[in-house]
Amino acid sequence: MKCFCSISASASLLFASSALGTVSAPPFSFSLAADGIAGGGYAADFGSVVQTAPTEWLFQGSYQGNTGTRLAWIYLVDPDPFVTGTFTVTNETSASRDYVLDFSLPISPPLAASLLSGQVSGTLTDSNGSGSALMTSTNGGFVYSALADDSFVQGLMANAFQQVTSASGTTSFSGGAFGFPEPVPGPAINSTIGIRFAFTLSAGDSVSFSSVFVANPIPAPSVLIVCGLLGLGSRKRGTDGATRTDSGLKRS
Amino acid sequence: MTPSPPTALVTKASLLAGLLVCGPALGAFDPGGFTIVIVSTAGNATPTNTVTPISNTLWSATGGWSTGGASVSWTNNTQGWNPATNSGFTNGNFVVRNESASAQDYSITIGMMGSAAGPLTVSGSVGGQFLNTSFGLGSLTSVGPLWEARADNNVVRSELNNALFVAQPFQVMSLGDFGFDNPFYEVSVTGSVSLRFSVRLSAGGEASFTSTFAFQAVPAPGAVALIALAGAFGRRRRRR
Repeated sequence: MKCFCSISASASLLFASSALGTVSAPPFSFSLAADGIAGGGYAADFGSVVQTAPTEWLFQGSYQGNTGTRLAWIYLVDPDPFVTGTFTVTNETSASRDYVLDFSLPISPPLAASLLSGQVSGTLTDSNGSGSALMTSTNGGFVYSALADDSFVQGLMANAFQQVTSASGTTSFSGGAFGFPEPVPGPAINSTIGIRFAFTLSAGDSVSFSSVFVANPIPAPSVLIVCGLLGLGSRKRGTDGATRTDSGLKRS
Repeated sequence: MTPSPPTALVTKASLLAGLLVCGPALGAFDPGGFTIVIVSTAGNATPTNTVTPISNTLWSATGGWSTGGASVSWTNNTQGWNPATNSGFTNGNFVVRNESASAQDYSITIGMMGSAAGPLTVSGSVGGQFLNTSFGLGSLTSVGPLWEARADNNVVRSELNNALFVAQPFQVMSLGDFGFDNPFYEVSVTGSVSLRFSVRLSAGGEASFTSTFAFQAVPAPGAVALIALAGAFGRRRRRR
């Protein structure tokens, strides 16, 4: 965590330079707590980052702390903003563990108001062939929590209980969605969006989650008025510049 | 179960082009025990793979492959092969992405070289998710089986035949889960066992698979009789 803090300033500067025209990856970060023992850092420091579109970056990496846990991820992020991807956690210890895993992305520009959507699916596997695997919500809470400015905005998979009952077996589950097909109104978002996963995983087993969190800006009223006026203007121009024929409107 | 003939998805040329990624040899594995071969319409590239021996019979691999906007990553793919007990397993997670502008095909084969005297019982499973990160409709399809468990290149089991999943923009879909437990495989393994994923992803598509495949020698009838006799003898002694 010390390393995480010490590089935060330089990472923020790098991200800020993107506004000046230099293309830099955003300081997308993660933190992993296993039974309260935390670790993490900037995703780019634990793997690779590739720019895939003018405002999109693909982060791939893995992390193994000293808690007997393996974490690997592949995430596509856009500071404009969305966070989407897949991670896998494997509990390599001999006891079940409580995990809290955060992925956090600084956004740019801030959103005065937002429309939100999110979704999650996963797969639980009996990785050690013991004949069973179990993944549950920790204390009945949400497994998936969408965060805006580090505050909870939406949750999925409350009271989750997923299990595998055959040796080397697998179970896939859909964790539900919010804001599909129509996004739901959200708060103003000033600095970050993120996803928190909190779950308890049985010993020797692994779980994989694919998830999405999208925050779209709600256009300001003045922008809506301008758009409306532009639409009216173009409609008038279209009518003026067209001659009516038997088959309908035809541009002259 | 009669093994079906091998499907020629990976040609000799592609095997060479894909490059076998071999870990350091430990006693329980034949040389080159851990192999990963990726063939894609996106192009050729050399996989990077880090193999970590956990014990003399247990290995873990993490790695990646990418070219032309297509990428595959695997994490904690653990393999075990114990020639003393004629048993073994492979399991792990794959993430396949297509960041190119068009649909791409992928054939991913993860194998381990070794031998085990049959007959064997085999079990395995596969599950996964499909994530569409494009702003249009996305699809995951397979031409033939999406997942195959193989022994000596013969298909022991296949799942998700002619799969088709269509997702809205930024939608996550569960692909379901499929498994089998202890079908009887009459013959021995003489060369390798492997898992193969064959998938076509639309632009912006991401598929995540978790899969296992395990085998275990069936005790010979003589051994079973011996165990039964030992049990009966022990019971008699306890009664006395």
